[in-house]
Amino acid sequence: MDRLLQEPPPLPALYAKALIRPAQTALRLRKPSTALPDVRHRVENVTATPEKVAAFQGLMGRFQSQFLPSGYVHTLAFPVAVSVLARRDFPLPLLGMIHLRNEVRHLHPIAIDERLSVTARVEKLLPHRSGTMADVVVDVEAASQLVWSGRSTYLAKGVQAAAPGTDSSDPAVTDRTAEDVPDYPTRVWTLDGGIGRSYAAVSGDYNPIHLSVASSRMLGMKRPIAHGMYLASRMVAEIGPDESSPFQWTIDFRAPVTLPSRVLLSAQVERSSTSDWLGAEVTAWDPKRRRTHFSGRLERLHRQAGAE
Amino acid sequence: MNSLPTQQDSTPESDRSVPAQPRAAVVIGGNRIPFARSGGQYAYASNQEMLTAALDGLVARFGLQGERIGEVAAGAVLKHSRDFNLTREAVLGSALAANTPAYDVQQACATGLETVVGLSNKIKLGQLESGIAGGVDSASDAPVAVSEGLRRVLLDLSRAKSTIQKLAALRGLRPADLLPNAPTTSEPRTGLSMGEHQAITTARWNISREAQDELSLASHRNMAAAYDRGFFDDLVTPFRGVSRDANLRADTSLEKLGSLKPVFGRTLSADATMTAGNSTPLTDGAAVVLLGSEDYARQNNLPMLANVVDAEAAAVDFVDGKEGLLMAPVYALPRLLQRNNMSLADFDFFEIHEAFASTVLTSLAAWEDEDFCRTQLGLPGALGSVDRTKLNVNGSSLAAGHPFAATGARIVASLAKTLAEKGSGRGLISVCAAGGQGVVAILEAR
Repeated sequence: MDRLLQEPPPLPALYAKALIRPAQTALRLRKPSTALPDVRHRVENVTATPEKVAAFQGLMGRFQSQFLPSGYVHTLAFPVAVSVLARRDFPLPLLGMIHLRNEVRHLHPIAIDERLSVTARVEKLLPHRSGTMADVVVDVEAASQLVWSGRSTYLAKGVQAAAPGTDSSDPAVTDRTAEDVPDYPTRVWTLDGGIGRSYAAVSGDYNPIHLSVASSRMLGMKRPIAHGMYLASRMVAEIGPDESSPFQWTIDFRAPVTLPSRVLLSAQVERSSTSDWLGAEVTAWDPKRRRTHFSGRLERLHRQAGAE
Repeated sequence: MNSLPTQQDSTPESDRSVPAQPRAAVVIGGNRIPFARSGGQYAYASNQEMLTAALDGLVARFGLQGERIGEVAAGAVLKHSRDFNLTREAVLGSALAANTPAYDVQQACATGLETVVGLSNKIKLGQLESGIAGGVDSASDAPVAVSEGLRRVLLDLSRAKSTIQKLAALRGLRPADLLPNAPTTSEPRTGLSMGEHQAITTARWNISREAQDELSLASHRNMAAAYDRGFFDDLVTPFRGVSRDANLRADTSLEKLGSLKPVFGRTLSADATMTAGNSTPLTDGAAVVLLGSEDYARQNNLPMLANVVDAEAAAVDFVDGKEGLLMAPVYALPRLLQRNNMSLADFDFFEIHEAFASTVLTSLAAWEDEDFCRTQLGLPGALGSVDRTKLNVNGSSLAAGHPFAATGARIVASLAKTLAEKGSGRGLISVCAAGGQGVVAILEAR
């Protein structure tokens, strides 16, 4: 079933709706479901605001370019994705869900003024050792051509909404012991306590777990944590190719980055003999606890023969 | 290469096939103010004041009052935007003639050496008869910038015409924007400080804590001995009541150095070995060198300490972690030696800037490492060993301190004098710099 929305729904309203949902459940006003809604939400004529893109690029430390940063496309499509997650028939609670993984294929450069169609759906409701996970798949098209496709995996902790089956979760997600981290960093990110608010301002994602100590406590966290997409976007901006070449990237989130924080990164960049960017393996970790925050992989995509 | 004859014409150097050989550029002498730790005796001295003091000391030493010098080149690494013309302003405030032209150079810690190389080349080409090269840095009087947010609001405000536009500009201001940005020694592309970068290189090359402390001890002892025998009497002019480098610890010992806690590399899996004792502190100071043609020196009855022979710069890819931040001089040296048909055995003195004791030790280890020299430097085998008795014989940055842009001129003046004292031989200079850069140079006794 496809549902065409007139415009991207406002995130604050979706979050507000999500905030009262647990109460509704507790009052038995709505029944928790155990299946994913078979629906695609679609919004057409989505365009970026150049000033907002510039602010996003500025926060990522990139020069302005004529193309959208890969992380920003996620931001642009995010309200549509959230509108699916905020549906009454979506079985997991929107707020407090943990971002586990992102997988993006950035197939074509997207000009900043391009008119885009965004389609979002949910897939793969699976049990996880500490709850239930689900994927949100977002496809972005320009002139009916798929230009960007992203799959985000989220975990709802303590929620048993999936039919019992194989637990495909990675046990390291909740492992609290020191891990093997790379011997040497190649860079460090010094993230201040306000980075969640700064990213919220350029992305529109004002999820309370990222904003302040007070707001994150409302959702049971001692300290605010960095947006997963801030970490991913910065990884792509700093270590990826420029936006004019097609590439794909994945990021697996492990221990969240509490704010403020000093994150060490090891980025092993592969280049051709002529210094062309081919790809990179990235690990980010907490030097004190020696725990991995995330690992990433970026890879150049070669344009298919015949295309264009 | 033969030492240059003392005729006033420039003479071809034997191993070069280039038809028209340039004439010699000579180091006439140097002057610096004693260096002081950041926040110490020079806490309230500006770059311009210190550079002017160094220039005036040089003027007094060589009788240059009211004289027009061909060109003065200097720079500072930590520089206020108001000091856009720092060197020219210092010249105007000095006893040099006001019609002495000047320009600023910035190549991080290689600034001072690069000014020497640049002006020497102009002298060799006949564009200049005389030049003053140098540098200055103040980590105490460092510029503090407003935040990016406040800067933007202020710039928008200055462009706003109506009250409404002005209010709109101010609306963009957030409380956090009012916090200033203090300068850091972090590499912009990696966020890692220079010490953190070097700690990685130190661990990769397995440089021991003991070896670093020994090198630091030698630096302090050599420099203290050089002061005691009056070596610096005609190289240093007292400033603000300081007459010796304030960082110098003549009485330090391996026990004292060994008692210090590591400050860099504490988050690595390898043992942390770099301490405040085997790393240079943030330092304030200024140094300059007087250069000239042989004609200029003779006509003005000035000494000729050494010739500036040649120099080579290199850079490494440290951003991807492929090479250490401060390893560029390791790559520059074989190129310089090859062009001049020389080997490490051709040098009587080695001045390897001690940014950290381990910077020197990793450089030495790399040149001795056959595998590294083959794969990274493209050499048939190891470049060779540096005779440690010829290394930093009058102390270096661990003892003197390291005001970034001033270090090159300090080293050139000290090495030129060392060569003049010996009366023969060659000296090699190696300076690493931020941004994965480095410059090496050859001086030759006359």
